[in-house]
Amino acid sequence: MVQVEAPTSQTTAARRRKLPRLPLLLLAPTALFALAVTVFPLGYAVVASLQAFRFGRPVAFIGLLNYQNLIADANFRGSLATTLIFTIAATAVEFALGMALALLLKDDLPLEGIIRSILIIPMIVAPVVVGIVWRLLYSSDVGLVGYMMQLIPGAPVSVLSSPALALPALILMDIWEWTPFMFLILLAGIQSLPQEPFEAARVDGAGAWGSFTQLMLPMLRPVIMVAILIRAMDAFTIFDQVYVLTNGGPGTSTEVATLMVYKTAFRFSQIGYGAAMALALMALVMALSFAIVRGLRADGQ
Amino acid sequence: MSGTRDRNGRTTSPDRPATTRRQFLRQMIGIAGGAGVAQLLAACGGQAPATGGGAATSAPAPAAPTAAPAAATAAPAVSSGGGKITLGSFADPAQDVLKNVFLPEFEKQTGIKTEWVEADYSGWFQKAVNDGQTKAGAFDVYVLDDPWIPQFAGGGFVANMEELGYQPDSDYVQAALDTGYWPPKSGPRQPGIDPNAKPAVYALPIIGDVQLLFYRSDIYTSGAPATWDDVLKTAKEKSDPSKQQYGWVTRGVKGNPIVTSFFVILHDFGGKMFEDNWQIAFNNQQGVEALEFYLSLLPYEPPGVAEFDSDQEGQAMLEGNAFAATMWTGWCRQTDDPSKSKVIGKVAFDVPPKKVDQFAKIGLFSAGIAASAPNKDGALQFFKWFNSSETQIKFAQAGGTPVKISAFQNEEAIKKARWLPAILKALTVGKPSPRTPDWSKVEDILGTWLNKALVEKGNAKQHLDDAAAEATAYLKSAGYPVG
Repeated sequence: MVQVEAPTSQTTAARRRKLPRLPLLLLAPTALFALAVTVFPLGYAVVASLQAFRFGRPVAFIGLLNYQNLIADANFRGSLATTLIFTIAATAVEFALGMALALLLKDDLPLEGIIRSILIIPMIVAPVVVGIVWRLLYSSDVGLVGYMMQLIPGAPVSVLSSPALALPALILMDIWEWTPFMFLILLAGIQSLPQEPFEAARVDGAGAWGSFTQLMLPMLRPVIMVAILIRAMDAFTIFDQVYVLTNGGPGTSTEVATLMVYKTAFRFSQIGYGAAMALALMALVMALSFAIVRGLRADGQ
Repeated sequence: MSGTRDRNGRTTSPDRPATTRRQFLRQMIGIAGGAGVAQLLAACGGQAPATGGGAATSAPAPAAPTAAPAAATAAPAVSSGGGKITLGSFADPAQDVLKNVFLPEFEKQTGIKTEWVEADYSGWFQKAVNDGQTKAGAFDVYVLDDPWIPQFAGGGFVANMEELGYQPDSDYVQAALDTGYWPPKSGPRQPGIDPNAKPAVYALPIIGDVQLLFYRSDIYTSGAPATWDDVLKTAKEKSDPSKQQYGWVTRGVKGNPIVTSFFVILHDFGGKMFEDNWQIAFNNQQGVEALEFYLSLLPYEPPGVAEFDSDQEGQAMLEGNAFAATMWTGWCRQTDDPSKSKVIGKVAFDVPPKKVDQFAKIGLFSAGIAASAPNKDGALQFFKWFNSSETQIKFAQAGGTPVKISAFQNEEAIKKARWLPAILKALTVGKPSPRTPDWSKVEDILGTWLNKALVEKGNAKQHLDDAAAEATAYLKSAGYPVG
């Protein structure tokens, strides 16, 4: 035993000597802050999700009952389905449009700076303002879209009161707002690609489509992955615009999961159940993110 | 991580970029997830542990409301205490007169400084609940929408005003005053509340708001429609969509707006929300008839009412597009404002029409003294002063909507606000939202299904049954003896 312990102690002592204390001390406040703002709330949410609340206060420990109820909650499952449809549709269209715009504007064009500035305006508008603007646009009494719909024979007179049109209307608003984000990231990615492989392909007789699919897309894969990941995560947790535009209606056709979490926790004061919903949502966002990463990594790494 | 190879996904160091990317993604996912949950918890963190000190378990105040009517013009008994009170509220133009005219006057008369803090409706609700839960003491007075009172009183967020020394007088409109009692003076009591607990005042009405019938006097030339059948008949006869003339307009957006509109018709048709044992009652025969009637008005309403909230409903009246609607009293003044209305002098007011009963929905601006108020005495002085009959008369004369009978009947006030008699009449027959903190959830469920019925223009019975089943399941999970 002595023979074994002696070298171990020496190694530990040597490690201690090597560990610089000053950097650790300097990092400590940041690490503590990070713990305070992420780990503590997360831990608190877990604890809250195991409790029943009354008047906003915990009144009983109920174990996993909130999670059991969540699994049986058809409204929550419905809101998840709505969220998933919204996320997939919005992200896919934004990616396609963003890529198209990036390809159009990747070369130097006259007024390129102005065009780019105009394109990114929707992205810098506050989400609540975006919701209000689109609510006015869709409004059946004063809105432009509402007015135009009334000119189409047989069309629903109101976009936001049509269960078939409300979710697409929401997706359209998101596309308007966030396509510029995709555009900017993809444009930056495209412009930083090396030109040599494209020149070589051109010499070898490759066409524009071939260069795009065989060279550009594979080379852009890491950029595409990050862009889609960020947008998908953001779209999955959309709240402000839905709250302002439809508040989940008509019926439950645009009731996204975050809206349900908000109402449950803050309007109905069911904080434990709301925390369980929020944690389930977080797990789903993580699963979705891993799925996107895995799906986009062709090399399997 | 810079250089061409990284962007190409190929690197001179085979394992490093992959690991870095994974770490990056994990960090991003962690941050996003943590931020989402942190946002939720920001508002519920730091709560005080349950003490059971709410009204539900505390002993009722021994004092009873005074039987002697207060002299309508008696000077309020206000002592000059000095100090400062902070009043928190949701933003609403109905409070402008109070905020801009009467708070400065209160300061002048009492020497007590005031600070008015306001936020949007939902934001203020959360802020007030947080303050109440954490006993932070950021506010002395919470302005409350009256359906919030059960939660604020039951949760112990507001103080028992009788214990603090407030005795309501008989000049109050009784139905309005009753909304501030906890436990409720009438109707069923939620589970866990001592059935023998004596109701006490936890909040007072400060602005008398109620759903009135707004109707076009040039259309209804012989006065207000007496019955709902009259409304439908006139709508059928005189609506002309080609000229944007509609017999009725309603708030159809899901949640509180459509429930508020339906609430009036439901009760007028003899229906109700709950039985005395909390069983859901809105899907009984009267409820179905009420919803079928509500839907029968649809062909005579502006297109897209399923997305209409209060602003669009009010606009339809002010633009002269609708002949009648049930709306909050805040719209009364605007109908006579040439800068906002195209139907000056053509809109009259009354209690909503009758079917089996005649009913109006109360939706008061109320206020209570925070249980954690740093200056409870100053807050009490404010209520004694502002809710005195003398101040209420001045409030009515200045354009506010009072809560005292003498103020509603004041000749000078009526000259300036011709709708005051109608408000008093409606408040007298009015009922508030059911007195339970779980009403907001039931309202949300019912509001969702009503909106579905409105969008589908039918299936009244089926949608009410679906709403009842969902609401019953919720109430059962919350401990109500239903199911």
